[in-house]
Amino acid sequence: MGRVAEDDERAFTELVRRFQGRVGNLISRVLNDRESVDDLAQEVFVRVFVHRRNYRRGSKFSTWVFTIAANLAKNEIRRRVRRRNWFSLDALTEVLSDSLPQLADPTESREQGLEREQLQGAVGRAIATVPEKYRLALVLRDIEGLAYEEIAEVLGLPGGTVRSRINRARGMLQRKLQPLLRKQEAP
Amino acid sequence: MNRCDQARRLFGSYWDDEVTQAEREWLESHLAACPGCRQQYEQFARTLETVGSLPRTDVAADLAERALAAARRATTAPDRIAVVRARPVWIQVTATAALLLVGLSALLPWLGTPAVQRVLAGRNAKVAEPRLVATASRAPEPVRLDSLGIDHTEDVEFILDPVVLHRGRAQAPSRLPKGVQGEQAVISF
Repeated sequence: MGRVAEDDERAFTELVRRFQGRVGNLISRVLNDRESVDDLAQEVFVRVFVHRRNYRRGSKFSTWVFTIAANLAKNEIRRRVRRRNWFSLDALTEVLSDSLPQLADPTESREQGLEREQLQGAVGRAIATVPEKYRLALVLRDIEGLAYEEIAEVLGLPGGTVRSRINRARGMLQRKLQPLLRKQEAP
Repeated sequence: MNRCDQARRLFGSYWDDEVTQAEREWLESHLAACPGCRQQYEQFARTLETVGSLPRTDVAADLAERALAAARRATTAPDRIAVVRARPVWIQVTATAALLLVGLSALLPWLGTPAVQRVLAGRNAKVAEPRLVATASRAPEPVRLDSLGIDHTEDVEFILDPVVLHRGRAQAPSRLPKGVQGEQAVISF
């Protein structure tokens, strides 16, 4: 990032390549919309470049880039709510069905594969129904694997609030998925 | 709070490996003894495992190049005309305050002079009545009003204030004896 701050465009391209997957995934899970991922991820990196001199040396770049991504995702959710153009829950299923063939375990039977797809689809839809403030914390923790302290920094919240939001989001998710998980547990 | 509620409250911290040794031992012994909590924890763990293993979304292969091109466009282009760069406001404020201080300190010695005190005292003083200065040996030649080019038979405007105009007829009867000159004239209307 130090080289990017000194206008090194090659360093910027490398930086985008390193973080584009995590940024894209965060946006995709929070918005539940594959179509907007590229545009929003691009906007995140444009902001990184434009504000490159505001980056505090010594702080974690991932925290900074996730802060920008989380804020843009929140803005996008609010913009959509204002326009009453709430995103479709079916979009995620399409994303999942597009990605699944590449990720399927070759030793898995067709039946097991279908069951896994069904569960992943349900989890994706359930995440999309968790309220935004809990969803962001959940995605940062349980999908992107950020530490609680880092999430607190990204969201600008006290650590206790972050823990409480993540616990609530997990509880909501479990309650939503309980019928499906019970069905799968049954012989 | 019963033991099951207490155990379920620890699920998140246990999953994140953020419990103390004593909490871990207590929860594990409770899970071993309580089938309801064990089933709940299994569902909780399965949910989070699935969340963590959701397929990742791929971004466009050329995102880096697109982002760089957009970033170049977003970087402010240089102005084509020379623009004086605005200085921070605090510099102007500080400079003005300093100038005012210098000005005031220069005025302070002058404010104590007799001339200023007379001016200040005169602001509240009443207009003195005309007093007798001298008596003319003979009556002065009457001034012909028409020689001044002013028609005093018509309404005359008196400007008493830079803004407000009062209209009235000029009447200036002198209370002084005939032939006496006054140092001040009182005009009433």
